[in-house]
Amino acid sequence: MPAHPSRRDLLRLLGAATAAAGVPALSSCAGAPATQSADPGTFTVYWNAGHDYQAYRKVIAEFEQAHKVTVNLQKYQWPDLRTRLLADFASGTVPDLVEEPGGWVQEFAVSGNARSLQDFVDRDGQAMGFPSDWQPVTVERNSYQGKVYGVQLHLTCNTLLYNKAMLRDAGVEVPTTWEEFLEAAKKLTKDGVYGVALNQDYSYMWPWMMQAGVTPYDAGTGKAMTPLEDAIEALQFQADLIHKHKVAPVPVTGTDYSGPQKLFSAGRAAMILTGPWDLDPIRKTSPDIDLGVAPPLKHKVQATQAAGVSLFVPAKASRPELSWDFIKRVTALEVEQAATQETGMLMPRKSWAELPEVQTDPVIKVFADALPQAKDSSQEVRLTGRFGKWEEQLKVMYQQVIIQNRPAAEVLTEFAKTAEGYLK
Amino acid sequence: MERMTVRRKVLLYTLLTLASLVTVLPLLYMVSLSLQTEAETLAASAVLWPESPQWGNYAELFARAPFGDFIVNSLVVAGAITLSHLIFDPLVGYVFAKFRFPLRNTLFVALLATLMVPFFVRMIPLYVMMANLGWLNTYQGLITPFLMDAFGIFLMRQFIQPIPDDLISAARIDGASELRIYRSVILPQTRPALAVLALFTFVFQWNEFLWPLVATSTPEMRTIPVGLTLFNQEYFTLWHLTAAGSVILFVPTALLFVFTQRYFVRGIALTGLR
Amino acid sequence: MRPRTLSGRYARTAYLFLLPAILFFAALFYLPIGNVIATGFRTGPMADQWTGLSNYAQALSDPSVRHSFLVTAVFAVLVVIGSIVLGLALALAIDQPLKGRVAFRVLLLVPYLTSVAIVGLLWRNILDPELGVLNRVLLALGLPTQQWLNTAPLLTIAAVTLWQSVGYTMVLFLAGLQGIPETYHEAAKIDGADAWRRFWRITLPLLGPTTLFVSVMAVISGLQAFGQAYIITGGGPGDATDLTVFHIFNVAFRTRDFGYSSAQSVLLLLVIVAFTVIQLRAGRRGEVTY
Repeated sequence: MPAHPSRRDLLRLLGAATAAAGVPALSSCAGAPATQSADPGTFTVYWNAGHDYQAYRKVIAEFEQAHKVTVNLQKYQWPDLRTRLLADFASGTVPDLVEEPGGWVQEFAVSGNARSLQDFVDRDGQAMGFPSDWQPVTVERNSYQGKVYGVQLHLTCNTLLYNKAMLRDAGVEVPTTWEEFLEAAKKLTKDGVYGVALNQDYSYMWPWMMQAGVTPYDAGTGKAMTPLEDAIEALQFQADLIHKHKVAPVPVTGTDYSGPQKLFSAGRAAMILTGPWDLDPIRKTSPDIDLGVAPPLKHKVQATQAAGVSLFVPAKASRPELSWDFIKRVTALEVEQAATQETGMLMPRKSWAELPEVQTDPVIKVFADALPQAKDSSQEVRLTGRFGKWEEQLKVMYQQVIIQNRPAAEVLTEFAKTAEGYLK
Repeated sequence: MERMTVRRKVLLYTLLTLASLVTVLPLLYMVSLSLQTEAETLAASAVLWPESPQWGNYAELFARAPFGDFIVNSLVVAGAITLSHLIFDPLVGYVFAKFRFPLRNTLFVALLATLMVPFFVRMIPLYVMMANLGWLNTYQGLITPFLMDAFGIFLMRQFIQPIPDDLISAARIDGASELRIYRSVILPQTRPALAVLALFTFVFQWNEFLWPLVATSTPEMRTIPVGLTLFNQEYFTLWHLTAAGSVILFVPTALLFVFTQRYFVRGIALTGLR
Repeated sequence: MRPRTLSGRYARTAYLFLLPAILFFAALFYLPIGNVIATGFRTGPMADQWTGLSNYAQALSDPSVRHSFLVTAVFAVLVVIGSIVLGLALALAIDQPLKGRVAFRVLLLVPYLTSVAIVGLLWRNILDPELGVLNRVLLALGLPTQQWLNTAPLLTIAAVTLWQSVGYTMVLFLAGLQGIPETYHEAAKIDGADAWRRFWRITLPLLGPTTLFVSVMAVISGLQAFGQAYIITGGGPGDATDLTVFHIFNVAFRTRDFGYSSAQSVLLLLVIVAFTVIQLRAGRRGEVTY
């Protein structure tokens, strides 16, 4: 057994450790711009592992040709990408360009880690159609103090996916309002099939909140989740689908978003509320399901949540001109068109929504038509710099109501009170 | 030993068989997943065993990413770290077991205290350090933070302590140098413990995720656990590929275990952890 | 004079042999730890503004920090008790003269060789209430299906942890059992003690040091548990499995408050040290030598 440490030993230990603490905190001593690739011939891009499309590969090849560089496309899952990026910010060695899952642009603009792209936009915006050709929500969510810090790459939103055969068999019309939705779900629930499946991830509550007309946070009044009674109604409505009406299974706590999609693919859920990312797995695993896509539901308003990824350039990136050129190339209309053809992904350009292949595709068109009603759920929160805390608490609050069946009124009121405290 | 009654024997076999099933079945299920089609992995009710095993899943791993590089990197990094532990841990353990010197207890406690620090707590400072050294995305950057650890040293100290001091004194009287005493008197006696140390170190490093994730910047430098994350899509997991990669990840540690397992109980029994 | 020069020489040799280790641990453990302690006094996304003790003050009054320490303590207790009971039971079974005991030993140890990440992904898949293989088996047996991760999340991740580590604990106990001289049992048998009594009177007390070691290591690894929450539960449902290290990781890498996370790391470190010292003290007192 180890010699057991005495109190004196521990004190000594503590002393030694504090003596070693004379090193600078997290910032590296290097103040000069530093890009990760020491080799000037390498252009480093952080990308999501799920977005390695052929259409983008082609852009990369052209980019390499034009600038005589090698693109190092580093693919990560989102949480890993963030861990890596924060370590980079701490050390000062950063990539040339970063793809982000939505929300980070403003966060890093506030913290000083993202570079303003306004100078480039002023110069090239007219020619490339930025911001005029982008859906307005995508420009707003990537700006800070009147300056553009990021460019939206994909724009997605949640709508209603349903199993046509199941609805037909149950004699149910495609629902358009919450009341119709509940009725439909009740009729569809039978023989081991649930009317609907909800997600364990809190972000899936936003379409409901927006349909109820809820403002997540108003920086002007300092109020969160207003009007509160509408927010409570929206959240309780979701919980009731599970615990009161029993038309949806209890979601499983976890780290992914694929639960409802799997139930839908398995023929165990007749409807799910989700985005275009679930289309591919459904088609791949259950090609025989006759998939229907309907517009977002309407309660007080017809609305949904805007989501999708953007690109930004770290403040310390050493070749912003090159980074900007990459952004321009990868967001060109032809590239958006090719990516949509390849994967069915939705895009932020208004002119993309007008493309014949978008207008004639029964699935993509529904999503494309919903995009103008899509709202950003957390912009005002991100600008306070307390987004991380807000997200953590939202997750806990949502799961307490949805999974653990605690009353929405109690939990949400408490959440809003706490949030108003730290967002001020 | 007393003769066992039949009833007791049946009871023991039942207990051990059940426990073994619980430990092994989930891993067999992983093998099953690795041989399923993507559709089967996502099927309505879980598929226990695929209709026709998809051995092609393993080939797909290599086609989709530089999986050969991942394997080489993992072998180099885990191998080098294991080697370093085999060199340093017994030496340091020997010093703490057999030498008297000022501050010995303090240093030993300071050493053991490092066991209590979760890795990610050190991660950012280490990352900044490696960046300043220009060691990111290199083998030395992946290896250096793990060259020794307190657990290995502690294990070796416990093992060396019961070796009689007389052996050392005798060698000293014969005029052997200190390094020679260590090499020819102490080290040969520690073989079972070294086997245990090698296994623990290799298994631990082979499975390490966080550090290779942040310390590598090109696909060619990734290790297997980090490389596996490439096979997931933005919103869903490609189970068949992830499982195939996991099986490959599992094979070397299992082989190493088969080779070292006969030392296992003896090695631990002799460390004085009795 | 001679002994002193001799001991001086040994001391020099000792330090010479220790030199690489001292340099290594100073540079790659204590320097970073010192850095973390220093960061604990700072705030801001780059942790570059001095804030004194306010991170500590905040942590001590933050209900989510307190909650995560509580969750972790319960988790650690579950893991410690499970490790000792299951590990000892399996070791006692496998210590009998049975055919195939080596094979059993290997099979029981196999999960220890896999990574936490894979264990996590695998069990998440197996435990899925609607689609997972486990509920499918229960259904086939005519038993009611379960929602382990929602109804007993902490117990479930503790069980998964034990699934992975119990083989290792078993080997530790096995080594301990084989170190008990046979003569003790023989003597007790002559005195007429039955197997149950021999276990309580002889085996268990003589296994004291092993039990202490197992519990110290289980507490340390239980308090440091991370992957279980990171991969399986995401800390939920609600905050039911918000293990401290996972919580601190989120404060650092999701919330990006490195100062606050560092202060919490230091607090956790103090807790681990305190627990270990208490256990060793208690163990010392109850130690039985033979």
